[in-house]
Amino acid sequence: MRDQLTYPDIVQMAVPLFVAAILAEVAWIAVKGRGGRYETRDAMTSLVMGAGNVTSGILLGFIAYGFFMALWRITPLDLGTGWWIVALCFVLDDLRYYWVHRFGHRVRWVWASHVNHHSSQHYNLTTALRQTWTGPFTFMMVVRAPLILLGFHPAMVLFCGGLNLIYQFWIHTEAIGKTPRWFEAVMNTPSHHRVHHGRNARYLDANYAGVFIIWDKLFGTFVPELEEERVDYGLVHNLGTFNPLRVAFHEWVAIFRDITRPGLTWRDRLAYCVKPPGWSHDGTRETTDQIKRRHVAQNPDTAGTPGLPAPGSAE
Amino acid sequence: MPLHVLIILVAAGIAGIVGLLHLLGLSEPARLADEDAARAAWAAEFPDDPALAVIVSHDRGAALVETQRGRGIVWPVGADTTARYLIGARARRTRSGVRIDLPDFTAPHVHLRLDAREADRWPALLEDTA
Ligand SMILES: [Zn+2]
Ligand SMILES: [Zn+2]
Repeated sequence: MRDQLTYPDIVQMAVPLFVAAILAEVAWIAVKGRGGRYETRDAMTSLVMGAGNVTSGILLGFIAYGFFMALWRITPLDLGTGWWIVALCFVLDDLRYYWVHRFGHRVRWVWASHVNHHSSQHYNLTTALRQTWTGPFTFMMVVRAPLILLGFHPAMVLFCGGLNLIYQFWIHTEAIGKTPRWFEAVMNTPSHHRVHHGRNARYLDANYAGVFIIWDKLFGTFVPELEEERVDYGLVHNLGTFNPLRVAFHEWVAIFRDITRPGLTWRDRLAYCVKPPGWSHDGTRETTDQIKRRHVAQNPDTAGTPGLPAPGSAE
Repeated sequence: MPLHVLIILVAAGIAGIVGLLHLLGLSEPARLADEDAARAAWAAEFPDDPALAVIVSHDRGAALVETQRGRGIVWPVGADTTARYLIGARARRTRSGVRIDLPDFTAPHVHLRLDAREADRWPALLEDTA
């Protein structure tokens, strides 16, 4: 058993690259007068969220790592450390990312952690760094369990996860329109991920991919960026604060307030945790499915177009 | 990477980027060009409850709206805007205008820059729906 396998902590090593790329994007926008928007406090909050994410990884990383090492001790399988095993691990971990990200939008408990990544009304390279502080509390590390039980070493799995995160950095930009067709077909790109950050009815709950967009095409969640519909970035209900603590914890607070309301059944309390964001016991809020249906009811000509339900459909 | 190097790198990176953005003049808050802009900003948050009446502050930094469901406020969040209903709001005068406290964890305080005439008039309007 190779308990001691180590890979470099590439996310930390990439910090200088992140800073340099952000400066380059700012310069590009300043010179060209297009290709994106920056605002001081928004960028500062995104950067502080990123620093907090690294800090939370240092402080809480042992939870996931302990879990993974426990699995590693019980599995009889060991695929070794060949480069093709790392490559296979990277692809399978990206599939893992797709599902964790999809749960992150469809299960409120997981959304509470992920929501902050979507809380900016801007879309630039700093938005990429607006990452969660509360990841371990979602328990989404269990989705990685199959990889480890199959014989991929935990250090390799975490290394691939780091590579995945670094890949996703450069796609958070409006400076790049569309990449060559073959690349758009296979890879997650700025265009595909802009859609993911959209609050337009059409663009909600689409393009969960990390690196390979093929997962969305495979599982039916792909929506292309349409020239005639500009992406409106942010949340359905945009925040009125830049305070990083409020950004990091607001949805956890909202869940707490919902489940501690008097007069609810235990079934309702559970539903407030695990149903999609926007669910409410009295129907006073809207889920993304309801938002899409309302949009189609008000704009019948959009029914059945990408990201929107067919006319009169129940879903 | 040693932890102290990482900390220095992150702190210097954040300070440098934030300082540069401020020097580039990118700290200006959003302005509501006119009543229609205020209506659009309200509709961006509450598309199914349109603003029936709108009062834009003299410096175009905020707007009071009246809707079927009650009164609301539109204000800048950096270069963008957001909006909230004023249910449960408490307003009080400050030196530069009015401060609104909302019972909302994601928008706890709104600072409005108002002139003296507005600052006399708005608090009553802001708390009307409570
Ligand atoms: Zn997301
Ligand atoms: Zn993103």
